[in-house]
Amino acid sequence: MRVAREHFHNLKELPQAEPLAPGSPLCAGCGGLTALRLIHKVLGENVVLVNAAGCMTLLATFPYTPLHASWLYTTMGSAAAGAQGVRDALDILIASGRLPAEENLQVVVLAGDGSTLDMGLSATSAAIHRQLDFWYLCYDNEAYGNTGFQLSAASPPGSWTATTHHGTAQRKKDIFEIWRAHRPPYVATLSAHDPIDLAEKVARAATLRGPKLLLSLAVCPTGWGFDPSLGDEIAKLAIETGIWPLKEARDGVVRHTYRPSRFRPVEEYLRPQRRFRHLFTPQRNDNLLAALQRQVDEYWREAT
Amino acid sequence: MVGGGIRKLLTGNAAAAWGARLARIDYVPAFPITPQTEIIELLSEWFDDGTLRGKFVTLDSEHAMLTAAGAAAATGVRVFTATSSQGLVYGLEVLYTLAGWRVPLVLVNVSRGLSAPITLGPDHNDVLAARDTGFLQLHAETCQEVVDFILLAYRLAESPAISAPVLVNLDGFQLSFTREAVELPSAEQAERFLGPFQPLHPGFRHSHPVAQGVAVLDGATYSYFRYQLHRAVENAVEEFSRVAAEFAATCGREYAPLELYRADDAELLLVMIGSYATKAKAAIDRWRAAGRRVGLARLRLVRPWPAADLQRALAGRRAVGVLDQNLSPGLGGVLYQEVAGAVAGMANGPAVLRSFIGGLGGKDVSDAEFDHMLATLDAARPGGPPPAAELLMTQVEWRQVARSLTVAGKQEAVSAGKEGGEHAGSA
Amino acid sequence: MIRVRLHGRGGHGVKTAGRIVGSAAFHAGLHGQDAPVYGAERRGAAVASYAWIDRGPIRERGVIARPDLIVIADETLLADPASGVLAGAEAATAVFINTDRLDALALPDTLRSRVIAADLTARTLAALGRAAALSASLGAAAVRLLGAIPLEALLEALRDELSAIGVAPPELAKNEQLAREVFALLTPLAFADTGRELTLATSGATVSPVASGPLAGGTLAQIEYEGVMRGTPSILASGNAAARQTGAWRVQRPVIDPALCSRCGLCFVQCPDGVVSLDAEGYPVIDYDHCKGCLICQRVCPVNAIHEERETRAW
Repeated sequence: MRVAREHFHNLKELPQAEPLAPGSPLCAGCGGLTALRLIHKVLGENVVLVNAAGCMTLLATFPYTPLHASWLYTTMGSAAAGAQGVRDALDILIASGRLPAEENLQVVVLAGDGSTLDMGLSATSAAIHRQLDFWYLCYDNEAYGNTGFQLSAASPPGSWTATTHHGTAQRKKDIFEIWRAHRPPYVATLSAHDPIDLAEKVARAATLRGPKLLLSLAVCPTGWGFDPSLGDEIAKLAIETGIWPLKEARDGVVRHTYRPSRFRPVEEYLRPQRRFRHLFTPQRNDNLLAALQRQVDEYWREAT
Repeated sequence: MVGGGIRKLLTGNAAAAWGARLARIDYVPAFPITPQTEIIELLSEWFDDGTLRGKFVTLDSEHAMLTAAGAAAATGVRVFTATSSQGLVYGLEVLYTLAGWRVPLVLVNVSRGLSAPITLGPDHNDVLAARDTGFLQLHAETCQEVVDFILLAYRLAESPAISAPVLVNLDGFQLSFTREAVELPSAEQAERFLGPFQPLHPGFRHSHPVAQGVAVLDGATYSYFRYQLHRAVENAVEEFSRVAAEFAATCGREYAPLELYRADDAELLLVMIGSYATKAKAAIDRWRAAGRRVGLARLRLVRPWPAADLQRALAGRRAVGVLDQNLSPGLGGVLYQEVAGAVAGMANGPAVLRSFIGGLGGKDVSDAEFDHMLATLDAARPGGPPPAAELLMTQVEWRQVARSLTVAGKQEAVSAGKEGGEHAGSA
Repeated sequence: MIRVRLHGRGGHGVKTAGRIVGSAAFHAGLHGQDAPVYGAERRGAAVASYAWIDRGPIRERGVIARPDLIVIADETLLADPASGVLAGAEAATAVFINTDRLDALALPDTLRSRVIAADLTARTLAALGRAAALSASLGAAAVRLLGAIPLEALLEALRDELSAIGVAPPELAKNEQLAREVFALLTPLAFADTGRELTLATSGATVSPVASGPLAGGTLAQIEYEGVMRGTPSILASGNAAARQTGAWRVQRPVIDPALCSRCGLCFVQCPDGVVSLDAEGYPVIDYDHCKGCLICQRVCPVNAIHEERETRAW
């Protein structure tokens, strides 16, 4: 089941121009890069990306940048505050006539799950509280990927990370709900596997002033342990098993933009990934697999 | 034209706010911390009543506040902000970041001792923790200097020879809450001295994208950029004199990187920074009245470090003492090391160089302690092992501390102090 | 002292190969150090690692600018100036290249006589079923060429290092067999062992004795203040990453058959690096200068119009 769309209906409608030049040092098959690229297509080139430390920090590695837009790397914990400074300065310059309005930019925080869910949360919470007019794009690869895949607050239960060798015990911090509790105009989850849904959400949010979260699953062949060619299939399984719900919250009201007509078993998503290998070998961990399935089932029972 | 300003009784904090106001700042990201709060309260009031145009915004921490400040400066507006102590070290990472971005802005630090133990009184461990960041540092002795330094600071920060952020330091309580007469430059004077902000960076614009703050993973290139920052900050020694001359011509007050007080023929010289220099001057006067040749060298500029000025000032002295209102555990006084570095290898450097630690956490530096320092210098002879940093504390103070320790249930006294003397420090 | 510098691409196991060399020296009772080079680069990008071996304590840190032995895991690195594989090669005793087509490689004439070549990729593929898992074969090649380290120390090192990265016993046995094979295949370089110092016999260009003395490295640069714009770590040339030809990362090449293509655009949409563009008629075109070879395009193609071909000059 899909919700009705206003802006994008098929792939042909996606902008063809590439906002990012090739040649970036990111891993082959990086799911975060696909998400950034597709979102950037809809946003257009008039953006400044304000970055927090993570994989994407390597995009602009001296002397090269793939960006045709502007970029400001800040720190791991304060990208949203950097967005505040840029937004305020542009507003001041335009209001005082020192900058023509056509030079204006959309301010976009670009941060991974590590920064987003923990260190950067204070600065972000404050920016939402202030109703800062900005985008927040989080590429969620479910660990501190850039440092070698250590546990983050987004690591899913059961997942091996470089610092949880028997699997992550706790559930993911629910950043969608944390944002929603602040009552921003727009919060959405996305996946590059559903580019129309993704583009539609970006276009819908673009009409709204204030803090806007785009939370994209970022499949990570390097950290998750699968062949890079399988990226889109893993992303699809995340959606079809119900593990990664596609949803949005406009002014706090949640609506799922896609509900699989028949959910595939969670196991199908877990099995191809090395980070979940210990759930299947040497012995199958039936209890944990059942628990993971139950968590997903419970989520969708209550989903609107 | 000289004069034209108005005289007002102002606290150091109000003076800081006035400095920012006269600089016609566009943007103040803020976060409150004692003893800095009056600065941001005044500025927010002036933004609210339309005196200042632009924006005042409260952030969630100093780390965020400094990030917003730097990002706004990189975008092309004139930025002011202020903090103190814990706030400065909470944002320390960002200080390096902003200096690396080479963005001009002015940060006022109201010095306060660092936790633990948490305290409120001033000392300089906070501001000296920022000494390696790439921020220039100006240290005020008076409320007048606070106003004037902020105007000077913008000229330095925005100079093409520098383009780096500047920290203006004033001592908590001793200046922040202390009112004294300040001559405020008139708006016209301020405007003549400091013109409109002309950004040196392209900012973030739709028509010409720029990637700022990028990763530099190659050691040689990293060295190049760090060295460029070093050279930029170094340039501020010369630039300070040039800009200060213009300031004198406009506002009538003269400033050198190193203030020399009755130092011309002084055999004994104290070196220090900050508001306690006022008390030092009183002590120097007392000793001069008794016919003793003593003087003071007070650093206004700490970054860049005016090593050549120090060499000239310290050459040929019989003994020099550095009063550090900070303590680097296991080393001693931070400024002592830097002064020693400046005079190392001089053919006619000071024969004796001694280190004193005083005024930590806002503790008074009393007449007795100044007398002790000067007497120690007078008695000192060249040679011997490296002199230990000497903690200044009077017997009266020590007895009070000992009483508190007993009240806190700590029974075993180890320190005896020097019975009968006015001064309780130990070498 | 003998300095070994290993070059490859992320995913080859060059770091582990360097560790095998260091570890083998350790097990042989020699002094050894090893270290990888860390950078921003990812799977497929150029990487390097170092190993030092001697009878006495190693008094070096950081980079090896003048290697005695260079080990190159991937001949395509020779064409990538940024990888610096031949930096300092003028003084090297030998350069080992993993290739099956040495004659076709563009090499400086002065170097050719010092090049040793073997096709480790084919042997690795046969032994392990994966062409890029080169740590055992590269490590074995380097250790064998050094001469001073016996096979037993190599195998011990191999077991240590491979099990440390999670290689299970059945795979370990295959790697051991591969290492034995490579060890038997190569002939050691001549080396001198004074009992206090270990050196490779130099056959490379003569190096001035000053180079290892107090003036090693030549003259120093004088850097002046260069102004704000130049002296700020920013990039004004937007989009200039296109100058980096990440196409060299590729092992397998996706090839589109236009006759089968339905012009659905999925390959264009799903390419992480945006290197699939659509021509005027809507057919996808791959930019091979930059395609990193993830092959997502092949897997998403609903009509199987994309197949993969092994790069002739890749790992």
